[in-house]
Amino acid sequence: MQFVWTSTVITLIAFIILYLLLNRYAIGPLMSMMEKRRDLVLSQLNEAAATREEASAYVEQQKEALQQARKEAYDIIEQSRQTSGKQADQMIASAKEDAVRLKDEALRDIESEKNKAMAALRSEVGRVSVQIASKLIEKEIDEKSNEGLVDQYLKDVGTKS
Amino acid sequence: MHEAPIIELGGIPFDLSIITMLIVSCLVVFLIAKLATRNLSIENPGKLQNFMEWVIEFVQNQIAGTMDLKKGKQFITLGVTLIMFIFVSNMLGLPFGIVFGYEHVEDATIFGQPIVSVVDAFNTAAAAGTAHPHIEVAFWKSPTADVSVTMALAALVFVMVHFLGIKNNAKGYFKHYLEPYPVFLPINLIEQFSSLLTHGMRLYGNIFAGEVLISVILKLAAVNVVGMIAAIPLMMVWQGFSIFVGAIQAFVFMILAMVYISQKIESHEEH
Repeated sequence: MQFVWTSTVITLIAFIILYLLLNRYAIGPLMSMMEKRRDLVLSQLNEAAATREEASAYVEQQKEALQQARKEAYDIIEQSRQTSGKQADQMIASAKEDAVRLKDEALRDIESEKNKAMAALRSEVGRVSVQIASKLIEKEIDEKSNEGLVDQYLKDVGTKS
Repeated sequence: MHEAPIIELGGIPFDLSIITMLIVSCLVVFLIAKLATRNLSIENPGKLQNFMEWVIEFVQNQIAGTMDLKKGKQFITLGVTLIMFIFVSNMLGLPFGIVFGYEHVEDATIFGQPIVSVVDAFNTAAAAGTAHPHIEVAFWKSPTADVSVTMALAALVFVMVHFLGIKNNAKGYFKHYLEPYPVFLPINLIEQFSSLLTHGMRLYGNIFAGEVLISVILKLAAVNVVGMIAAIPLMMVWQGFSIFVGAIQAFVFMILAMVYISQKIESHEEH
């Protein structure tokens, strides 16, 4: 075992030079790169968390929208159901009204026809009775023919009615 | 035992194998790190980049285990440099070795300079009366198998730790030496210096012992054919174990450095 002091000095110099070189050219850049990578991973993690949050908020929003749409659809169905019911009622009511109106009209027609017929009959009866009366007056003179007159009259009535 | 190729330039000794191996380890570490971070990508990291990130995260987890990571962040690069440099250094000595043998003093020169350690060894051998001394010099070995290298790393950590201690909380730092009673001052001082010594010596001892055993097995292989056959499984087992030890020691050195740092920057906060 020999202790050569120059070896010690040279070792120190060599080691310090190696340290500085490594620090400058190898380990320094590598460590800053590792630091950068750590930052990158961290930022990506944060980004992922933010994206996940956003996505869950979006899903919530979608769910709400879906709920709303469902409710709207239900409302529309309900509304149409109500309208259709109302319409049916209306139709029934108008039909009833029409029926009543037609019946009334018919009744009125019947009445007026009846009245017309009555009037016609009455005038006929009047005319016939005037005829009868005139015929009677004619035949008063001719007692004999009276009987024949009545018979004729009756015959007339029978043919005319 | 192999000698270190030490030459003297202007009276200052230089260990050529240590210098070579330090340069090689630094180059290997820097190349690995540079290749791993050549095409940095946040989203699609390559295999080497993944490996580098794994190393950094491993060190980061160890630091987080000893201190608050907010304060510990600045030591990640130090921890990564320590663990990679020591691991690579530990591994370098394992696959092969380069050893020169010298029979004569005149041959033992490099760049025209005599190898001091070999000359010394020849002188010792001559003094002991050895007729034909054969001195071997190892050029390729783990730099961490040399105590002057491991102690340099330990001293670096030691100085940094105490500097941080004083900078962070000078009052608490000095008060710490007088706790629980002023009588404990020498014990506390010894504790600090023993931690420096054990920090460096542990690494040196483990790796040096590994290399010694490898050279012993090689000597066994050189004895005869039986020795060579016996040496192969032994070598396989010991190489595998050395890889394990090298990895563990690199980890232990790094974690101890972090523990010492955390002791100085955390424990004084409450005082």
